[in-house]
Amino acid sequence: MTRRGWISQLLFGSSAMLRAPESRTLVCVFLRGGADTLNMVTPFADDRYHRLRPTLALKPPGADSDALLKIDDSWGLHPRMEPLLPLYHEGRMAVVQGVGNDNPTGSHFECQDQVERGIAYGEAAGGGWLGRHLRSRNGPPPGPLSAISIGATLPELLRGAPSASALRSLEDIDIRTPVGDPELAADALSRLYQLPVGLLGEQGRATVELFRRVKALRESPTPPGPGIEYPDDGFGAGLHEIARLIKANVGLEVACIDLGGWDTHFVQGGVDGLHGRRVDLLSRGLAALHRDTAGSGHQVTTVVITEFGRRLYENGSRGTDHGRGFALLALGDGIRGGRVLGDWTGVEEEQPPGPTGLRIAHDYRSVLAELLRGVIGNERVERDVFPGVALQPVGLA
Amino acid sequence: MAEPAHAPSTRRRRVLQGLAGGAGALCLTGCERAISGLGRMAGQSLPEQPSLAATGEDFDPAYHLLNRAAFGPWPGQVDDVRQRGWESWIDWQLKPDAIEDRACDLRARRFESLALAPGNAFELKREVIREELIRHTLLRAVYSRRQLFEVMVGFWTDHLNIDLEKGDCIYLKPHDDREVIRKHALGRFRDLIRASVTSPAMLMYLDGNENRVGDEHGDVPNENYARELLELHTLGVDGGYTQDDVMAAARCLTGWHFSMQGWRRGRVRFEPRWHDSNEQVVLGTTIPAGLGPMAVDRLVDIVCSHPATARHISWKLARRFVAPEPPERLIDRLAAEFTRTDGDIRSVLRVLLLSSEFRLSAGMRFRRPFEFIVASLRAMAADTHAHAPLIEYLTRMGQGPFQHPTPDGYPDEAGPWMGGLLWRWNFALALVSGGVPDVRVDPAGLTRALRRSASGDDTQTDTDMDTGPTEELDLFFRHFTGRPPTDGEREALRDYRAAARLGEGRALEELMGLVIASPGFQVC
Repeated sequence: MTRRGWISQLLFGSSAMLRAPESRTLVCVFLRGGADTLNMVTPFADDRYHRLRPTLALKPPGADSDALLKIDDSWGLHPRMEPLLPLYHEGRMAVVQGVGNDNPTGSHFECQDQVERGIAYGEAAGGGWLGRHLRSRNGPPPGPLSAISIGATLPELLRGAPSASALRSLEDIDIRTPVGDPELAADALSRLYQLPVGLLGEQGRATVELFRRVKALRESPTPPGPGIEYPDDGFGAGLHEIARLIKANVGLEVACIDLGGWDTHFVQGGVDGLHGRRVDLLSRGLAALHRDTAGSGHQVTTVVITEFGRRLYENGSRGTDHGRGFALLALGDGIRGGRVLGDWTGVEEEQPPGPTGLRIAHDYRSVLAELLRGVIGNERVERDVFPGVALQPVGLA
Repeated sequence: MAEPAHAPSTRRRRVLQGLAGGAGALCLTGCERAISGLGRMAGQSLPEQPSLAATGEDFDPAYHLLNRAAFGPWPGQVDDVRQRGWESWIDWQLKPDAIEDRACDLRARRFESLALAPGNAFELKREVIREELIRHTLLRAVYSRRQLFEVMVGFWTDHLNIDLEKGDCIYLKPHDDREVIRKHALGRFRDLIRASVTSPAMLMYLDGNENRVGDEHGDVPNENYARELLELHTLGVDGGYTQDDVMAAARCLTGWHFSMQGWRRGRVRFEPRWHDSNEQVVLGTTIPAGLGPMAVDRLVDIVCSHPATARHISWKLARRFVAPEPPERLIDRLAAEFTRTDGDIRSVLRVLLLSSEFRLSAGMRFRRPFEFIVASLRAMAADTHAHAPLIEYLTRMGQGPFQHPTPDGYPDEAGPWMGGLLWRWNFALALVSGGVPDVRVDPAGLTRALRRSASGDDTQTDTDMDTGPTEELDLFFRHFTGRPPTDGEREALRDYRAAARLGEGRALEELMGLVIASPGFQVC
């Protein structure tokens, strides 16, 4: 055998390195702080809701312009979720009620860690559940931008991913020559990587191509489509970057982004208060992302999770304390939406060890597993992502 | 390992106090500057005339040895190999205790958290331990003269992987690093495994701590560790063990435990109440009833002396040192040596590094991110104290030390690392231009030193002192990759240089960066 042939065989076996752009992207939005989802997808017809929240309850549909947006006889969306209403009615957004985890500590840190790792309380983790997903999903090896998180550091969610990058913006994807022209350096690297040295040609080409695509994107900023407006803050900018990457065919499979500010113990506020402003940001951002990527030929799925919901009753300072179950939102063309899913038996309290809150009808891992398997197409979910979790489909996919 | 334990010795305290003017506390930049200064005097610097790779077409063998049995050559270190000779160099490295390493100790032995007993580490913040452990590892890899030892520390750290982020492992891993990995890295395989079995960090990481039988626990041992012991640490997944063997091994291991609370926190003890003292049969060998805490020694003997273990460890070593799919004949020879010497790691390594398969394997291994970063720091004779920005590059490339989540350790294959090229390129370009915070380099000085070497180089037929672009390129390739550039490499970079039309100094920096970023430096 020739030396080169031997090298090739030893280094790479027979696996082809070339990959087509992945056409499915999962965006994971983590609402940090424990979101009061009961005031987002609200059981307005349940008297208990109004009794437990004398000042914080949202107004039943029809009352005035700040009243809940009726989606059926039981449920209304927060008035600031209006941008999402069309998606819901088109069947591209679903809500799963009563989702949660078994963590009794009520600690943000502990619960976020647990939800990011995708484990039961006290169980030890093997990285994050998105990391495990990326390692176990079928298909070609992950490319340079298969997984990103918007921010300075990688979240626990992505730990163990074969390749994952924390990006503040597309500016990070650059070739930073000390003085020369990055384009020329890219040319030189491109040529070097096409040489039969180390046989890294495909990966070198993919990387130079990535740089060029993103550079073009940066240099000719494509504004979002007509009428699409991202919120003018970090969250909106991050979603916009995600959309740009999706549309640029860089092979983005998973994107993580946080929206904080949900720890509303004190004066949670009305429709435009502390909580309402977060709901507004979230809704405008998600609506923009999904409208912006709609015609791109990529299937974009968004899942919105939090570490826990809040108490059913408001506290003495017109806020809500740490609770249990929450409503999970899922958006995208692959979602069987237009419905509020989950085993809902009313505004019922959980009486577990730890803080009380909305009754948990669905282990969050089961819902995520249904999504990964049914919508994203990972067939090894039960074995490799959430081993030991009894899957109880709610009809999301 | 006589590399003195990390316990703060009075000598060390005196040295540090002397350096820091009695300030005593750690992490003073003044102190770090002083350490850097002493390091330079002790050889952590550019030699006057670092010798270059031969001008032949093929990889220079001295470079090859240093690329694999070390984390790449420090400028001039190839002289060491040439003067001692290949075999003597290996034998020298196989006895790390005898290798003087004070300059490295000065940089790396400053971290208090690494010296604590596992029970006491709980007083510290997780971030402090994480940072100190990673910095220590990186600094040793870059600066230690006991390079083969450090390479093997890396190998066993993967082999007996422990993820700092799992449970409370972070408080216990420094002890494991010290008393399991470093203590036995070049010792006997059996001793390494025996130490690992009851290492608090491993007991926590693979649930040995929960492996109990008895009244309140029922009769269902936790088999997690026993399974990985057979599947990953010893026999290998195809090693011929059965589920019954896993269960019997798990039963032998019941009752080993360390306390998380009270004055015994972090101390490992054997709790007879939680131990299954019945007779067990593991891999066809009977472990008699009633051995109590000695049952684990029998178990370790059985699994470590199994022929499948000799093959599995030999295969893993060959994969790490030679190529991802090493030749069967080599594995046979290594396994035979493993068996003959009762698992003496030095002897197996010696056979491996002296094998023709090893000699012929230059350029066949893809450098993992850690190896890439360390090799480039060494080739540049960089001065660093391994602060957060440097660690950040590693994390971004996917190989934050001690962060691999699953017990199989960071992969050896090239595939999983292929997504990180862009970050490698940017690291290379930042490194040469002084753009990585806390990493000081001298590309101009290195270029001058290489020119001096070339002009005094007997093997250099072209003794023209003209420092044209081609010659520098040649020097850079010979210095960084251990061979002259191929025609394609020369043309690509010559064209770049012509097109970029940069001033002399910065142009050379950038050229150097591109050589480090080039495919030739990603493999070794």
